Amino acid sequence: MAMPEPNPPPLMHVVDDDESLRAALVRLLEAAGFEARGYASAGDFLLHPVPDRPGCVLLDVRMPGPSGLDLQAALPAHKVKLPVIFMTGFADVPTSVRAMKAGAVDFLEKPVQRQTLVEAIGRALQRDEQQRRERNDIAGLRERFALLSPREQTVLEQVVAGKLNKQIAAALEVSERTIKTLRAQCMDKLGAATSAELGTLVERLRRGSAD
Amino acid sequence: MLPAGPLRSATRRFACLWLLALSFAMAPLSAMADPKPANLLVIYSNGRLLPANVEADRGLREGLAEGVGRHANVFDEFLDAPRFEGAEFVETMSAFLRGKYAKHPPDVIVAAGPDALAFCLQTRSHLFAGIPIVYLVVSEGILSRLAPLPPDVTGIPIVYEFSRTIEQAMAWHPKARQLVVVTGTSPQDRAWEDQLRSEVPRFRGRIETEFLSGLPTPALLARLSRLGDDSLVLAAGYFRDGAGTDFTPREAVLGMSAVSGAPVYGVFNTLIGAGVVGGYMADFRAMGRQAARAVNQVLEGGQPSPDAPVRTVPATLNVDWNEARRWGISPRAIPDNAVVHFREPSLWESHRVAVLASLAVLVVQTGLIAGFMVERRRRKLAVQAERQQRAELLHASRVATVGELTGAIAHEINQPLGAILSNAEAAEMMLDSGTHQLDGLRQILADIRRDDLRAGEVIRRLKGLLDKHQVEHQRFDLDEAVADVEPILRVEARRRAVVLEFQHPGAAAPMLGDRVQIQQVLINLVLNALDAVADLPEARRWVGVSVFQDADQVGLAVQDRGHGLSPQALPVLFDSFYSTKTSGMGLGLSIVRTLVQAHGGQVTAENRVDGGARFRVEFPRSDPNVDGPHHGDA
Repeated sequence: MAMPEPNPPPLMHVVDDDESLRAALVRLLEAAGFEARGYASAGDFLLHPVPDRPGCVLLDVRMPGPSGLDLQAALPAHKVKLPVIFMTGFADVPTSVRAMKAGAVDFLEKPVQRQTLVEAIGRALQRDEQQRRERNDIAGLRERFALLSPREQTVLEQVVAGKLNKQIAAALEVSERTIKTLRAQCMDKLGAATSAELGTLVERLRRGSAD
Repeated sequence: MLPAGPLRSATRRFACLWLLALSFAMAPLSAMADPKPANLLVIYSNGRLLPANVEADRGLREGLAEGVGRHANVFDEFLDAPRFEGAEFVETMSAFLRGKYAKHPPDVIVAAGPDALAFCLQTRSHLFAGIPIVYLVVSEGILSRLAPLPPDVTGIPIVYEFSRTIEQAMAWHPKARQLVVVTGTSPQDRAWEDQLRSEVPRFRGRIETEFLSGLPTPALLARLSRLGDDSLVLAAGYFRDGAGTDFTPREAVLGMSAVSGAPVYGVFNTLIGAGVVGGYMADFRAMGRQAARAVNQVLEGGQPSPDAPVRTVPATLNVDWNEARRWGISPRAIPDNAVVHFREPSLWESHRVAVLASLAVLVVQTGLIAGFMVERRRRKLAVQAERQQRAELLHASRVATVGELTGAIAHEINQPLGAILSNAEAAEMMLDSGTHQLDGLRQILADIRRDDLRAGEVIRRLKGLLDKHQVEHQRFDLDEAVADVEPILRVEARRRAVVLEFQHPGAAAPMLGDRVQIQQVLINLVLNALDAVADLPEARRWVGVSVFQDADQVGLAVQDRGHGLSPQALPVLFDSFYSTKTSGMGLGLSIVRTLVQAHGGQVTAENRVDGGARFRVEFPRSDPNVDGPHHGDA
């Protein structure tokens, strides 16, 4: 498991076309104990590689060129999975709804006070950590899933689909006891205690793959 | 004389009737019927040029001309009293006249003046015996001395109205305490003095009287010059003074009134104009006319009769207007029946119609002028009010326009405020952390200052747009004015997710006018363009602003890639209240045109070839170094 270095501070990405505001935010974030980088536009952000570290993206909504919302939408394609906090001078309802639906952590109105900002960042980092953990869990699950033999995988699909051992044995034209053995092997490899837990694991795996 | 019996009376009556009938029948022809003219000999007491004689002569001839009888040849003789007198002179004169008129025997003799009448009566036995005599200008006193007069001697007595004149003078000069009476030494002068001395005592107690009789003229004038206005002078005038020098009364009075310190009064109308104020005056011309009527009567066959009523010519009050003014006599104190001399007829009296017409014209003109002035003032007020309203409207529209930019403005102010806040908070945290990064703090302060100035600048520009300002007429750079509002427009465009491009000419675009109004034009056009692209997909929302300038003109163009202008909209685009927007008042473009035209420019609208509309605004170029209007403080 690739865990981050033990002590580097979270990395903040500030995307705002207003140079002076951007510089002030970077300065404030640094004073608050974060590492911070500034970008003048969405394009500027995408041009720079984003290290896989805890952190978040502080994003201005309206910018020349692609807007903050455009950038938010483009992040998954660029494998950037950091939480997003919007900052805007034009806090109109439709834009904020759109941003929140797209998964933004917060929608802050400028000028942003330190307290508000720090709280929003706190929530963002919490979510980042949680997402990271989930991503790690699924990665582990996938590794274990890969240990299953094709036969075990077929039996697992049938079990998760809610079929009885007898039905599975009939469908595969093997004995019911063989099925029992294969199921036990699946539970063992995947680390599940019960058949119900087996179903939950598969469900998580499927959802994780869809991300 | 035969006793008048019935028979004689009847005959006489018959004769009278016959004559009357004859006269009725012949009257119209009588003048022509008797071709032989009558001879009229006029003998004057004094010299030829005595004004009284001249006047009497004129009246006499006027009166004779009135008669319908025979034409009269008038012969004039002058006895030249008081220079000639005495029995010897009478003898010489009568012999002279007898010889002179042997071939022109007079039919009537007129005796003008007492000396003439006395001469005629005295010489009648041997000169012009039996010729009727008509006298004039002889006072009752003289007549009574000459009485009884023969029956064929009749005439016009004269009345010297000394008392009435004194009475009138006292009425006009109530402060007068002294009456000075001037008389001379000739017999006529003595006669006047006698009359005066008999009449003056009736004023005793009301006024002191002093007679200056028979003084040499220089001594008299010296006396008169010392008089004050508490005195009155009554002068009959005199023919001869105390030194034996002869005058006409008019000449005497002329000298007196020239030096007198008191007003001078007289009783002959010939003294008018010689400096007297006035008086109840005998009118010699009227007496002449009256005498002529008596002569006509004699010539027409009637006999002058002593029983006939005395045909005295009543004296009239005469006043010299100038003298009356000089002595302070109120015009109201002059009776209406007085004959006033030398009064300039007032404009009203002499040009009544012209005056009325002029007054009418003046009144009409004044009315018209007043009307025009009222109208002009009303119009001026209306123009002022209209100008005021237009300024109000322009200002209101600008406020409304800026209102549309509120979001952009808030953003423009919020950005620096946000930066200042973050910087201040960062500085706080740096100080709290105890690590004194002086360079960092200094940098933060510099940034705070810069952002503060930036926010101030936004507010300054906004104030420029919102203030009610006096319309200016100054030279400014159009490009610079556009650049001034560019940031706000950019922010607004970004807010609406529109790409807004500016193209600057790279050289100054100088023009004359009001900078803020031109900025208003630009903002209106850009907001219109932003509206025009609002419903396009974001990628296609584009508005371009370009400033251009060449040798003759400067201007700006605003174009968009919207749907363009419909053919119906193009002709009425700039009219008030035309709007295709649901929220618009339709004033934006109307105001744009008003402002552009006020700057001597023009605004046009057209559709672009590749879609969308283009608005083009042009103004005359105004370089500072070329001739042309300069702004106020140049």
